[in-house]
Amino acid sequence: MDFLPLSEPVLLVLLSLAEQPRHGYSILQDVERMSDGRVVLSTGTLYGALQRLLRQGWIERYEEGDETPRDRRTYRLTSKGRRNLQLEIERMRQLTRVAGLRIARKEA
Amino acid sequence: MLALYRSLLRLYPRDYFHEYAGEMEWVFCQAQEEARGHTLKRRALFCAREISGALAGALRQRLFSVWGANLSRRFDMRPGFRFPRSTVLLMCVILAGVKLAIEKAKTVAEAGLRSGTVAFWHPLLFWLYPFAVVLVVVGAVWGILFALRRTGMHRLANVQTSPEHQ
Repeated sequence: MDFLPLSEPVLLVLLSLAEQPRHGYSILQDVERMSDGRVVLSTGTLYGALQRLLRQGWIERYEEGDETPRDRRTYRLTSKGRRNLQLEIERMRQLTRVAGLRIARKEA
Repeated sequence: MLALYRSLLRLYPRDYFHEYAGEMEWVFCQAQEEARGHTLKRRALFCAREISGALAGALRQRLFSVWGANLSRRFDMRPGFRFPRSTVLLMCVILAGVKLAIEKAKTVAEAGLRSGTVAFWHPLLFWLYPFAVVLVVVGAVWGILFALRRTGMHRLANVQTSPEHQ
């Protein structure tokens, strides 16, 4: 699990693809929406992340049909990507739980 | 702006360019279209973000094509390794030390040459002294980096918290 914790942009990209396959622009919009405008990815950053995720087998290109233009290819999460995303979410959940307990103890 | 972005895409390695440039250009056009309806400030931010993103991406891909997975593994999927700020200061001090040592060696060698007393050791010491200093400095830097790795500072992010019970 030496790939954890994930950086916020990568986490948001994976979360975006966890819901449904998306093309690049749709991912950009969804990441901005999910983070309430706090994280706005540039195209270069997005494709850097997508290329790394593709190389690691966390996501894959999804061909919707022969008519799909080459510049509008969509991406989707692989089972490996989904598993790793769940591990990260579990890690964050555990951290949040511990943080909540610590803060509650301090306040009591 | 599109022409500028296209020229920035040319900075990427050839393989990457063939694989992603078309897609990136299309996404950029969509984002630019959306940004057009916003304020001047927001449009300026968009341009700055896209230019810096494309430049940083091109640099990253270039570095990856040179150093391969060894470089990228450190930065992939992680917030990234960062040296403590004190390291920068330490490096500057070491660099200044090396520079001073080289200057001092030159002065000593020139003084020796003028007085004619160092003829037998001059060629040897003139080159060996700075070399020895550089060797020591490289050793020290390597030691510092090794020590930083041994302390596991960059692995702090991996600390697993155990469930706590009240």
